[in-house]
Amino acid sequence: MTKLSEIEVLLVEDSPRDAEMTLRSLRKRNLANHVVHVKDGQEALDWLFGAGAYVGRDPTCHPKLVLLDLKLPKVDGIEVLRAIRADERTRLMPVVVMTSSREQQDVIETYKLGVNSYVVKPVDFDGFSAAVAELGHYWLLVNHEPK
Amino acid sequence: MKIPLQIPGEAQHLEALSRLGVLEIGALQRAIFNSANFSSIATDAKGVIQIFNVGAERMLGYKATDVLNKITPADISDPQELIVRAQELSLEAGTLIAPGFDALVFKASRTIEDIYELTYIRKDGSRFPAIVSVTALRDEREQIIGYLLIGTDNSARKRAEAALLEAGALQRAIYNSAYFSCIATDERGVIQLFNVGAEQMFGYTAADVVNKITPAALHDPQEVIARANALSVEFDTPIAPGFEALVFKATRGIADIYELTKVRKDGSRFPAIVSVTALRDERDRIIGYLLIGTDNSARKQAEDDICKLNADLERRVHERTAALNSANHELEAFSYSVSHDLRAPLRGIDGYVRMLQEDCADRLDAEGNRMLGVVSSEAKRMGQLIDDLLAFSRLGRQGMENTAIDMTALAHAVFMTQILAAPPLNEGAEPRLDLKPLPPAQGDHAMLRQVFANLFSNAVKFTRHQLNPVIEVGGTAGVDATTYYVKDNGVGFDQKFDHKLFGVFQRLHSEEEFEGTGVGLALVQRVIHRHGGKVWAEGKVGEGATFHFTLPIRKEPDA
Repeated sequence: MTKLSEIEVLLVEDSPRDAEMTLRSLRKRNLANHVVHVKDGQEALDWLFGAGAYVGRDPTCHPKLVLLDLKLPKVDGIEVLRAIRADERTRLMPVVVMTSSREQQDVIETYKLGVNSYVVKPVDFDGFSAAVAELGHYWLLVNHEPK
Repeated sequence: MKIPLQIPGEAQHLEALSRLGVLEIGALQRAIFNSANFSSIATDAKGVIQIFNVGAERMLGYKATDVLNKITPADISDPQELIVRAQELSLEAGTLIAPGFDALVFKASRTIEDIYELTYIRKDGSRFPAIVSVTALRDEREQIIGYLLIGTDNSARKRAEAALLEAGALQRAIYNSAYFSCIATDERGVIQLFNVGAEQMFGYTAADVVNKITPAALHDPQEVIARANALSVEFDTPIAPGFEALVFKATRGIADIYELTKVRKDGSRFPAIVSVTALRDERDRIIGYLLIGTDNSARKQAEDDICKLNADLERRVHERTAALNSANHELEAFSYSVSHDLRAPLRGIDGYVRMLQEDCADRLDAEGNRMLGVVSSEAKRMGQLIDDLLAFSRLGRQGMENTAIDMTALAHAVFMTQILAAPPLNEGAEPRLDLKPLPPAQGDHAMLRQVFANLFSNAVKFTRHQLNPVIEVGGTAGVDATTYYVKDNGVGFDQKFDHKLFGVFQRLHSEEEFEGTGVGLALVQRVIHRHGGKVWAEGKVGEGATFHFTLPIRKEPDA
């Protein structure tokens, strides 16, 4: 089992299909070793702030990337993003929205909340796979985040 | 003193006068005799004309010689009037007076001053009204020796009188009109006159109100108080909330027309417009007031109706707007959900096909792999359909900008960046753009860019089998609209299907011939319609297609 402190990617995704495809794409690039997958917004918040099932997790211990879907059960992605940006401990965390929606209202809203990137999931698998791999590569290996 | 016989033609007169014993003639008398504006006719005691002056000649058309010693003044007077006059005098005097010369001079013979009006008849038979003053001529023994009839033509004054009578008729008509209330008061406001119109409007008879009340009693007391207060403020002087409030401005010589609610005898009310005038005597002192009013109910009613109508209209506009907004919101929610939820399963289909191909390709034969390929491409096509449909739906909802657009530059830019830069569709030659100079347009830049992009990509698609594909673009400015066209030399279409060209998901070619979702031209049509223009197509199978669209020319409002 992966130690919590080594978590590099928090994948917030309710669709098991999308999650499987995402993990598969990351795995191809050897980027899937330190991924946590949560299935709704509430679980994401619990994980991030050390609550619920994740009591004891240190909120100041950041993953290198949060891959956040927008349409989620319970608490939606926008709310999760808002909570991340509103809390001093998680404010600087890199968050990339990855969603099916290309609606301008979503793009604008998440940008206003300070999202680091907004990616529309390509419908075709090749495109999707490439996008996930590029994202993982960039945020885990290329990008330099604040400590 | 004898008057020298200076004036020719007077000899006869003087002779006659001397025969009448009137020998001393003053200059004034002579002037009168010779005036052209007075007819001076002197007769003997029996009435036979002895003198007929210049004025008489002019007025009556006779020469003196025609009448002297021949006729009496009765012969040149209207016989009917003489009869009437004779009858009246007979009654008055209690003695029978003949309807002849006697009727003309009877009073004068009794030394009663007599000025009367009668109609003289000219030699030519025409008539004129005359004022005649009759004096008896007496000798030193007071014996009547003749009569002098001095007359003036009264036509001009008659005409003036007739005009005055007409004016009076107008006043009377107004006064008696049932549509105006005329109320006159004395200087204290007590009603002195209450016309037919006032009676009808208020339901009072004149007897109910004359000398009894002031017009203030016919008004809504609250309004009179309000008016008194307003006037007190305006003129900075206390004004009583009664009759004074109604006429105060008129007393100051200010034209005053106001609208107040009147109260009828039965207590019912009506709005009236009232004009108030002060009545003044010749020394300009106010002796009363005249209040002329009209019932304003009909106009009020019309105004109220219009107000109600407007309010109703406004309410309906609000309702419709709310309904539209809510429909729009629903549509947005719908397309949001389509955008999200319809795409996810497609990605799943495509993704799992690919994973299957990657992981299990060796366990599938060629046919199995071909079928997986079909599943994958169908999923992609559905993704494209969803995207196009969402774009089409969004186009109907998004706001429009209105800017001046250089259509030549726009068409050129679209061709360069979106057509030539795209992966080559054509098997052989690159399409050539034959761009004529285009008239400028007014509209939404991004939307019109989409129009060119869709028309061009259509043209490229359908010329793909041509050796020399050409896309021609042109336009002409009309009076109200500019017409543009995009023409290609591609496969064309059968004109009998032109009504299907612009429908969403309507296609004239199979997917195998030419790919596409059938949204492109629907989108073009929606953009052009939103601009207030028209779009249509001409074509023949094998002979290319031409798409025309118009954009209205917006008239700049006059500066």
